[in-house]
Amino acid sequence: MTMKTFPPLAEISDALVIERSRAAGEPEWLTEQRVDAWRFFASAEPPYWRRTDLSKFKPEQVIAAADTAATSLYQEEDLTDQGVVFTTLAQAIHSHSDLIRRYFGTAIESKRHKFLALNAALWQDGVFLYVPKHVNVELPLTVMFSMPIPGGAIAPRNLIILDDGASVTFVEEYHSVAASDQAFATPVTEMFLGNDATLRFVAVQTWGEDVYHIGAQKVRVGRGASVEWAAVNLGARVQHIEAETALEGDGSRVEWVAATFAADHQNLLTAPWLRHIGAKTEAHMDFKTVVKDQSYTTFDGMIKIERQSRATVSRLEEHALHLSPKARSDSIPGLMIDTNDVAKAGHASTSGEVDEEQLFYMRSRGIPRDEAIHLIVMGFFEPVLDRIPNDTLRQRIAEMIEAKI
Amino acid sequence: MNSDLVIKDLHVSVEEKEILKGVNLTVRAGTIHAIMGPNGSGKSTLAYTLMGHPGYTVTSGEAWYRGQNILELEPDERSKLGLFLAFQYPVAIPGVTVANFLRAAINAHRAEEGKDPKETAIPMAQFRKQLREQMTALGIDESFARRYLNEGFSGGEKKRIEILQMAMLEPSMAIMDETDSGLDIDALKIVAQGVNTLYERHPEMGVLVITHYQRLLNYIKPHFVSVLMDGRIVREGGPELALELEEKGYDFLREEVASA
Repeated sequence: MTMKTFPPLAEISDALVIERSRAAGEPEWLTEQRVDAWRFFASAEPPYWRRTDLSKFKPEQVIAAADTAATSLYQEEDLTDQGVVFTTLAQAIHSHSDLIRRYFGTAIESKRHKFLALNAALWQDGVFLYVPKHVNVELPLTVMFSMPIPGGAIAPRNLIILDDGASVTFVEEYHSVAASDQAFATPVTEMFLGNDATLRFVAVQTWGEDVYHIGAQKVRVGRGASVEWAAVNLGARVQHIEAETALEGDGSRVEWVAATFAADHQNLLTAPWLRHIGAKTEAHMDFKTVVKDQSYTTFDGMIKIERQSRATVSRLEEHALHLSPKARSDSIPGLMIDTNDVAKAGHASTSGEVDEEQLFYMRSRGIPRDEAIHLIVMGFFEPVLDRIPNDTLRQRIAEMIEAKI
Repeated sequence: MNSDLVIKDLHVSVEEKEILKGVNLTVRAGTIHAIMGPNGSGKSTLAYTLMGHPGYTVTSGEAWYRGQNILELEPDERSKLGLFLAFQYPVAIPGVTVANFLRAAINAHRAEEGKDPKETAIPMAQFRKQLREQMTALGIDESFARRYLNEGFSGGEKKRIEILQMAMLEPSMAIMDETDSGLDIDALKIVAQGVNTLYERHPEMGVLVITHYQRLLNYIKPHFVSVLMDGRIVREGGPELALELEEKGYDFLREEVASA
């Protein structure tokens, strides 16, 4: 398969960004957004992140994909009759321009840092999902991104819109077989839930060992709507994901679980933000991390209970398991409360090696030490694996975790 | 091969403090042997040491079972040799269901060097059948098979799950560490019946029942009773010794030992 690419990043000009956008027949507002974002990318300094190591990262010569070859969509049933739209964003921009314009870029600020701007400027890959009012999609819809150019870059852009009362399971996967060249992904996923909508969102990152995965995800949740978010982070050399749930509508809810397993020299950071804005919003976060070898992970979380919120319920649990003495996991949970009206806010955190009492108990039943550790680690991740909607994917993730232990 | 458990002059320390100060004890195959003793006498230390808990340091002594000094074996090797410990405080394993845990344990017992574990693993249907039968016998609701091991279980539920594990693994030498603690009389009867049923099915097995109170011994009838006090066996006898202790308390023995 031949694929279209951009020239190396260092050689891209404003004019080229405009030319490519126009050649694709994109609406003028999008062309303007792209060039604006490109100017920001070209002039901004790389972000300084204390816990994300970009010292070996050289994006200047990277060649980005200029078509949607890296995007694969999977759906098991035809949903056109129900009015569901599930297609590449590049295609949808022609058919659903007005709808896209209303939402695009309204959850995640492109100029937060250079690499989000890069996504806004050059995105080609990505998916558009729209579920109309009161439509309930039973089977999961999946988008899988691969790395089509060795040493290249992709900038997937996903836009998910659930109208009032709609319900869907959406899975995004980033997957590559171990690539030896440095590759780069800057994914951005924006999700919008109308009133009483239900989204089950599963994000699975299983890149090869030399990928830099730098991006953002955000869901804005309407009145009475609920999100079940499960994230699995196993791959990449460096991950820096800023993820946010904004409980904007009264009575909105999120159940947010994540499993991160870092080994070798992986440096994986997740920065989950949770904002309680509406009244009687409810959140339960359960983040699990396993570190091994010389790896380093960061949980940089923040829960913000805004002034206008009332009767908030928020619970954060984060647990880290160390399989090697040299591995490191940092946890920086933050809590900002701007209101006097909080119903319940709790936080529990643990970090340590595999429990010797658990090991002894299992070994006393004949289970050898290594296998006992396997069982303990798999059990540790079970609440997340339990939420993977499809058996094949769950099996694949379980096998990857097994292989990493 | 000798299937008696023979403990010789066992000295054990915990964090530099000597707890067992020369225990000599033989648990004969095919017998139920009770160890009684007051709090702090070293009963649990003996149980944990025989199973190989890393927090207990054997400073001298031996424990022979089936031709091996088990003190030199890893806990999982001891289990495969036929030893079993029913814990006083069973540990929770979050995310691992009772069924999966039991299957892993059974398959570990069935594993053979040089053979594919898939070949030696218990067939799923057979495992399910056995599990269902044993759970029914012990009055454990079927839903427990899918629950995470000991997570959120009551004290009585944990003890029943211990007996369930014992029934599934069919050890040849079972050590019951204060299995009666925290049980009401109904739960105690069920647990005791579980032990008795297994013993009737395997009359060659040895059972070491560790308890503070005589109560449990009304339901699991011992052939022999040994009394552990301050890290040593101070008295041995038949079932009548348990009754004597129940009547007189441990103090009379303590006085006897002190004056001896």
